[in-house]
Amino acid sequence: MAQTAQDDPALRERFERDVLPMLPSLYGAALRLTRNPADAEDLVQETYLRAYRGFAGFQEGTNLKAWLYRILTNSFINTYRKKQREPQTVEGPDDADEWYLFDRLGAQNVEGSAEEEVLDRIPDEAVKTALESLPENFRMPVLLADVEGFSYKEIAEIMDTPIGTVMSRLHRGRKALERALWETAKERGLVDG
Amino acid sequence: MDDCGPECQEALREIERFLDREVDDVIRMKVERHLSGCDPCTDKLEFRVHLKAMIQAKCSQHELPTGLEERVRRVLTTLEGGAGPG
Repeated sequence: MAQTAQDDPALRERFERDVLPMLPSLYGAALRLTRNPADAEDLVQETYLRAYRGFAGFQEGTNLKAWLYRILTNSFINTYRKKQREPQTVEGPDDADEWYLFDRLGAQNVEGSAEEEVLDRIPDEAVKTALESLPENFRMPVLLADVEGFSYKEIAEIMDTPIGTVMSRLHRGRKALERALWETAKERGLVDG
Repeated sequence: MDDCGPECQEALREIERFLDREVDDVIRMKVERHLSGCDPCTDKLEFRVHLKAMIQAKCSQHELPTGLEERVRRVLTTLEGGAGPG
């Protein structure tokens, strides 16, 4: 009979030591994916349940964080993708938009204020909302790369997607995020539209 | 990219992967060499570095709901005693 974390105290101890401390970062990712706290809590619980059941099969010394995010992503897709029907495309990318935000912020004549300072003035909530506005296929690689710091290869494994697809979605997702950030900066009067 | 030459365009083509540390050493050094002598490209890179850091900082701040850790621990405890699959 295969050992599970349920009946192996050493395994359970290792789970508590290594996996439980990832709760805050997993919950944050779950929030960005589900876009609401109640679903995020459910998703995190589901993820921990599956991780605990599968923990005996996890190879120690391999990438625990990527393993957990893969479970999170799969749980999200299985449970929520059906619920959240939404278009899975973003505009562009147009070659002219390559430096979308940089060009627009640079064209502003805000005295003594560099492009970076405008970015810093966008409130946290608005940046989160901008990220959440991306269709899931594009939101996921941006979240995994820019918020969680995963490499392309790790993202490809987590999303079970070829690396070339990851790169193109990441690129297009980031462009879409730049457009969303520009819109939010305009709405808030941080820049002259 | 208006006043950029082919060298800039070549470097900027790699800038996203460069920033993500996903280029090999040959390309990395090539981009670095170009950046060291090109202020417009350096400005663009610095903007992207800042943007990425800003997104990271502002999207990873959130309050953990009270009791979530307890709920997760409880889920694990209920599994003990043979409730889970092997």
